[in-house]
Amino acid sequence: MELAELAELARDEAQRHGVEYADARAVQEDSESIDVRDDTVQGVGRATSRGVGVRVLAGGSWGFAATSDADEGQVRRAVERAVDIARASATVQRERVTLDDSPPPSGTYTTPHERDPFDVPLAEKVDHLLAAAAAGREAAGVSYVEATADAWRRRTAFRSTEGGWFDQTVLQVGGGMRALAIKAGDVQRRSYPNSFRGQYTGGGWEDVVALDLAGNALATATEAVALLDAPDLPAGQRTLILESSQLALQVHESVGHATELDRILGMERAYAGTSFVEVADRGHLQYGSPLVTITADATTQGAMGTFGYDDDGVAAGETTLIQDGLLVGFLTNRESAGAIGERSNGTARADSWSTIPLIRMNNVSLQPREGDLESIVADTDDGILLLTNKSWSIDDRRVNFQFACEAAYEIRGGQRGQLYKNPTYAGRTTDFWGSCDAVGGRDDWRVWGIPNCGKGQPGQVARVAHGAATGRFRGVTTGVGA
Amino acid sequence: MTRLGNDRALSLAETVLHTDGADAVEIVITTSDSALTRYADSRIHQNTARDDGDARIRVVVDGARIGVVATNDLSVESLRAAAAAAVESARVTPPDPTYAGLAQPAPYPDAGHYDPGTAECSPAERADRVARMLRELPSGVLGSGAVETGASELIVANSNGVRGYSLTTRANTVILASGDDSTGYAEDTSSRFGDIDVERLARRAAAKVELGRNPRDVPPGDYAVVLEPAATATLVEFMCYIAFNGKEIAEDRSPLSGRIGEQVCDPRVTIVDDALSDVLPGVPFDFEGVAKRRLPLIDKGVATGVVHDLATAHAAGAEPTGHGLPAPNPEGGFPLHPVMDAGDTSYDDLVAGMSRGLIVTRFHYTNIVNPMDTSITGMTRDGTFLVEDGKVVGGVRNMRFTQSILEALSSLEAIGAERETSSELFFGAAHTPAVRLSRFAFTSSTSF
Repeated sequence: MELAELAELARDEAQRHGVEYADARAVQEDSESIDVRDDTVQGVGRATSRGVGVRVLAGGSWGFAATSDADEGQVRRAVERAVDIARASATVQRERVTLDDSPPPSGTYTTPHERDPFDVPLAEKVDHLLAAAAAGREAAGVSYVEATADAWRRRTAFRSTEGGWFDQTVLQVGGGMRALAIKAGDVQRRSYPNSFRGQYTGGGWEDVVALDLAGNALATATEAVALLDAPDLPAGQRTLILESSQLALQVHESVGHATELDRILGMERAYAGTSFVEVADRGHLQYGSPLVTITADATTQGAMGTFGYDDDGVAAGETTLIQDGLLVGFLTNRESAGAIGERSNGTARADSWSTIPLIRMNNVSLQPREGDLESIVADTDDGILLLTNKSWSIDDRRVNFQFACEAAYEIRGGQRGQLYKNPTYAGRTTDFWGSCDAVGGRDDWRVWGIPNCGKGQPGQVARVAHGAATGRFRGVTTGVGA
Repeated sequence: MTRLGNDRALSLAETVLHTDGADAVEIVITTSDSALTRYADSRIHQNTARDDGDARIRVVVDGARIGVVATNDLSVESLRAAAAAAVESARVTPPDPTYAGLAQPAPYPDAGHYDPGTAECSPAERADRVARMLRELPSGVLGSGAVETGASELIVANSNGVRGYSLTTRANTVILASGDDSTGYAEDTSSRFGDIDVERLARRAAAKVELGRNPRDVPPGDYAVVLEPAATATLVEFMCYIAFNGKEIAEDRSPLSGRIGEQVCDPRVTIVDDALSDVLPGVPFDFEGVAKRRLPLIDKGVATGVVHDLATAHAAGAEPTGHGLPAPNPEGGFPLHPVMDAGDTSYDDLVAGMSRGLIVTRFHYTNIVNPMDTSITGMTRDGTFLVEDGKVVGGVRNMRFTQSILEALSSLEAIGAERETSSELFFGAAHTPAVRLSRFAFTSSTSF
């Protein structure tokens, strides 16, 4: 059965049960990952997952069931199961779910691309990565050089009882390399262009080629080796400069999640947590300095969080979350927007046919101002430049955060100086954003894909993105060690 | 995905074990039928069920060229197509020098449990459990959490004659009780849904809400702590992730590289990885078909455990330990069933033995700071309390810790007599006791 037929069967069956609303998503996702290390291919894996999920509103409550079995009888059983589940939900209900009045979708979307990564010969992709690893191996003292490539192709057919439909193909790719340097109980790493398997985009294999992994591998590996002899970043209160990939993750953790309306309304309370932000804060909360404007835009060209329609069936669009430092918006879906009498801004996404849509970031981006990394460094008399994320942690209301990065440089008199290893920094969200006194300009701005955003139960992993340029923050705690 | 059963599953596996062009073939089939009822602010707001399957086929051609293709379409035609695609992939992939062959047949131990009542639990039964928990909460306290039930099959077969089949069930219940300015948490996991005492969980979470009202600030610094079992589980889970991987140990990337056999923490600390135990049941074999066995990781404070899959065991000249993960897996194995020995101190005595310190119910969003010194950072949540002169004097606002795990386990004062199974945000579950430590580093605080 074609995906569209599968979705229509499930939608029609739900309609026969007399539910208040139903939508069905039939999805097929193909994925591929390639790992090389030095001159060895460590793993090539390909997978396909296909199925249909049906979500119903009955008695004012939700039920959802999904099956990988395309047999007509199994699909009918899944719909019955969803209806039974909704009836059970209604027995523990405080108020009925109210969806917003978003217009039903009708259309198609395909991620613009030149070369579908699944059509590129495997040998070509493997050779590309082996070349990057070989280039990195030229660095004296490097222990291992690894390179990776990932690709996903998701086809979705959405059909709803409101008459909504869309057929969508989203292509996403990623590539990166990292060098490990090991000596006397110390392990240091540097990654290019980002950690955790590199940079991710919405597009084709050409995006991986454009990263020029081989051309950047030697410098990356050389810096990893240099870190072995660098001192730890001392503790202190310092002016902090974050390069754009680290600032992108800062946006993710301390703005993106904090402005998800389902978290604000308590729907994630027991697992990932809530938010310090309240609905009433909109238009009143000074979230950051006047340089901080943050938008959520599912139409950003070539980004990992770009799509045509979300999994509620809402067309992709743009909304502003923070304008010149002031909180002005939230990330919403049809349910949460309905709860506050508004219309969704289209951020509902499920990570599979077998999971329900949740509010997920699309491309949540700090808008550019002026300057670039070098000009901001040159304008800094005494500070620390932190490069490339290593780990992250934040409390369950998104207030207190602590990040570790791969490397740091002292900035003295506008010049890069001492290299430091194991750098960390910490703070509280609004204090930190309030201390922002420089954000780089359009030429310094880049959209960074993040493929591993966890949320929800059962756990879902979303692929999102964040645009950011270099940022500078005053009076930040650095060098928090054990 | 309808449950396959032993005979049908193995018969399905057989269809690809002699794929044309492959020297050797391994197939791992999983099926799962699970449901999760989620509630927040004392109403069910998300309620889902899914049935799915997966077949992951690894083929070997020309001795060491590997191809892996997975599909969730478990028809014979689909599996044959996937196996053929894996052969095509392997043919254009350079040989893998770390390939150590597929597993050989061996007897499997008993592991895991299957409970029909858990497998067939209805949405009405799950909703009833939620309602029963909510009835235990006092006025003004709201409940959030999840009630999850499910059954899963794991089948591993290969062209060496390995044939493994496992059918297990799992139930998990979580409640987070929320008051005006405090929260409390309780959780339980079992193979049998009926064994979970949901009223007890609700009362325990509610008691923490009451105890934590009007939280006070305490300054960051070093404190004595009582870590309740869920908080201890975070330390144990991260230690398992950081330290025992055979590949990382061999490459000097583990904090235990060169330290196996050394005393690394207090001699009262014993942690084993044990998928065969009743307290944290797993399956009898790993994803390569190697039999599971009890593996001491830290034995009386001495680092002993090195975890291997087939490839890392071969490279190290060791026996595989039953920690193979789904292919392709360049990382090697990790302990997935950590169980820490209990002590003999009651919870009340753990607290009473602290002149000034903190009780931590659980941690949130913990992550690694520096794996080589086992330092991690995370936040307290859902019940953090100040103790003075052995008595709880009230709740405190949440704190961030940044702490070496091994240093923490070296400052052990006492271990609780009771153990619980707890889930960690990034990992599976661990079965751990409460512990009292003389020093734990809290490095900052938050606003609630």
